[in-house]
Amino acid sequence: MSETNDRVEIKLKGRIDSGNAAAIETEIQQKLSGKENVPVLFDMTDLEYISSAGLRILLRVKKSFPDLTITNASSEVYEILEMTGFTEMMKVEKAYRVMSVEGCEVIGIGANGIVYRVDQDTVVKAYKNADALEDIQHEREVARLALILGIPTAISYDVVRVGDSYGSVFELLNARPFSSILAEHPEKIDWCAKEYVDLLKKIHGTLVPEGKLPDLKDTVIGWAEFMQEYLPKDKGEKLLSMIKAVPHDDHMVHGDYHTKNVMLQGDEVLLIDMDTLAVGHPIFELASVFNSLQGYAELDHSLLKSFQGYDYEIGREFLTKVLSLYLGTTNPKKIQEVEDKARIVGYTRMIRRSIRRKGLETEQGRAEIAFWKERLLKLLDEYDTLLFTPDELVLDAVEENLPLLQEFIEKHLEETNCPAKAKMQIELASEEIFVNIVNYAYAPEKGTATVRVEVSDDPVCVTITFLDRGVPYDPLAKEDPDVTLSAEDREIGGLGIFLTKKTMDDVSYEYKDGQNILTLKKNL
Amino acid sequence: MMNQRKSSPFDSVLIDLHMHSRISDGSDSPEEILARVKEAGIGIFSLTDHDAVEGCRIIRSLLSPSEKDPLFIPGVEFSCKDSEGKYHILGYGYDPESEPINKVVDMGHEYRMNKVRGRLDMLRQEFGFDFPSDEIDELLALPNPGKPHIGNLMVKYGYAESKEQAIREYIDKAHFKGQYVKPEEAIEGILGSGGIPVLAHPFYGSGDQLILGQEMEERLVKLKGYGLRGVEAFYSGFTDKLRNQMIEFADKYDLYITAGSDYHGTNKWIDLGDNGLGEGPKPERMVRFLELMV
Repeated sequence: MSETNDRVEIKLKGRIDSGNAAAIETEIQQKLSGKENVPVLFDMTDLEYISSAGLRILLRVKKSFPDLTITNASSEVYEILEMTGFTEMMKVEKAYRVMSVEGCEVIGIGANGIVYRVDQDTVVKAYKNADALEDIQHEREVARLALILGIPTAISYDVVRVGDSYGSVFELLNARPFSSILAEHPEKIDWCAKEYVDLLKKIHGTLVPEGKLPDLKDTVIGWAEFMQEYLPKDKGEKLLSMIKAVPHDDHMVHGDYHTKNVMLQGDEVLLIDMDTLAVGHPIFELASVFNSLQGYAELDHSLLKSFQGYDYEIGREFLTKVLSLYLGTTNPKKIQEVEDKARIVGYTRMIRRSIRRKGLETEQGRAEIAFWKERLLKLLDEYDTLLFTPDELVLDAVEENLPLLQEFIEKHLEETNCPAKAKMQIELASEEIFVNIVNYAYAPEKGTATVRVEVSDDPVCVTITFLDRGVPYDPLAKEDPDVTLSAEDREIGGLGIFLTKKTMDDVSYEYKDGQNILTLKKNL
Repeated sequence: MMNQRKSSPFDSVLIDLHMHSRISDGSDSPEEILARVKEAGIGIFSLTDHDAVEGCRIIRSLLSPSEKDPLFIPGVEFSCKDSEGKYHILGYGYDPESEPINKVVDMGHEYRMNKVRGRLDMLRQEFGFDFPSDEIDELLALPNPGKPHIGNLMVKYGYAESKEQAIREYIDKAHFKGQYVKPEEAIEGILGSGGIPVLAHPFYGSGDQLILGQEMEERLVKLKGYGLRGVEAFYSGFTDKLRNQMIEFADKYDLYITAGSDYHGTNKWIDLGDNGLGEGPKPERMVRFLELMV
């Protein structure tokens, strides 16, 4: 028994049953005699069995000493305590299996800990801080939430003791991070970018029930507030107001979406390292994507190689491909614009981090901070908002999504000086095509439609492309309806496509890579 | 709290229906028990000595018809065993003078005496432990001699360090096959004397087992088939979860609910009246039981 800070610690050993319960109880009574309301801790490391005679002792101690904790209960003892309701009455901590990671291959180093491969299908994430249990619990909860919401991720199935701290055990069969695929097979960059973006879009398309995850915007506001004293007053205020102007978004963001956290297991792409999971606007996510692929290695390009394993140039190329796919555009201006907006948030984060970690006293810290600060200030001159509209929208082909589509097209038209009549014609035509996909492409099954909008400057022209993976169907092959016939004699349908052809400047169809691709063009 | 109840005359009455006197393995005499019950402000109580109704006769003779005395329900706790396990079955409100219950008491006493004699023989044959004949006579003259008494004797004559060690290392070593009162015999005896049979500390079997879930339910179904009428859902050793589970069983199998501490005086660390019930409105199934008893 030991007493620290008035807490009484009692070690229980062997078995407690009717044979020795009375003697053990007397011993405990002696240890607790004369004490009042002190915390009591039962250490069950060496307890093999507890019968109801033992449970009664715990219950009686609990009555006199309400602040009672049990630690290191073996799984057998824990099960008894759970079934009898003791785990609901007092704090009971399970004993954790001890796992050694000595000599194990390190497959990842994160902010919170190191990931080791223990054997062919097991990895353990060993946490750095000794009181990691809460962090582990948090990560398990959010990972479970993500999985329920349809995000493929690895769920830890056990918590173990690793050295002085704890580890979370995952099953990961021959999983490879995208970083090593890119490092070893740069020729697979297109495939990697596509899978990486598909998963990212899936995350950003996932609505999270209110209150389940923190809002990344709050965190980013915190960074910007920290930056106030390091930026000229007007620039600091502008940065903060730009971030505050980003609307609240209930869709999921990962928070640390870099190529080591995206894994290929078999033919499934998995997301790991879920402790930063949050909700928020995609620009905040793109900021960390930028940082991980370019930002933090902008001054010293070798950093990317040492962290991700591939060259800075590969990172550059990958980022451009990712943004192009994410935004659904090949327009370099558009890609640059969104990258710049991501950089504003990205630099804010890195400058703050550098100040906090290395401080302004070290030469390396000063150099980094000055470098990023100069860029940030320049960007704050150029931009007034962090918002952007992707040129591509993927949505379930159901009628309820029509307003989403209309809003998406409208946003793009706002950027042009589109006459009201043309606008109406575009909206009408888009509705016709979308409703066609909804009704016929997948029936009776369900599927998705992808819509791309491009606005070109010279001549001003809007191009809207609809893609679906439904049955091949060329709506243009159908003969135009005879509009000279009376209403009764006319064939039903076909009128929508007819009107579309009439009002658009060009309508074309092709079937390619298993997709129906219908393109509308309207000159403004 | 628990299920919705109507107000009853038992609201705000403290109740403890499970306690032991020196007649069995408690440390208080029946007189002391009565004094402590009054001191604790308990309004309705029962003395439930193991396999003995003697204490109830004594308590009855001590009670005056004045309104100040607490209400007393005659009680007993039979130790039973069948091929499936051990049970403690409480009997309440029986006539202590009637034959059926006294037959069970006598049966229990006889079996117990056989066991004590058998154990003493075993200790002599297996380990060579001998005791003076007057000590053995004294032991056999006790109302309810058992393993603890033999253990004390062993300590007294230097065969063991402590009563617990004596029981663990010697008395329990040789598997002793004795005769036991069967649960159906106890239940029949209680019913035959106008009493209500109730299963004591159901989850803990005869005291130190842990019987949960389906096994518990199967026990209740079997005992109910023999005529069991109630369960001790409020018990000093139960957690809220266990108590609530037993209340659910009582609802499912239409059984009365009782409350007991299992007070043993200084022999066990249990306070009189400690059973998780407290003052305040009582569950419907307990009110119905109490109405039957008083």
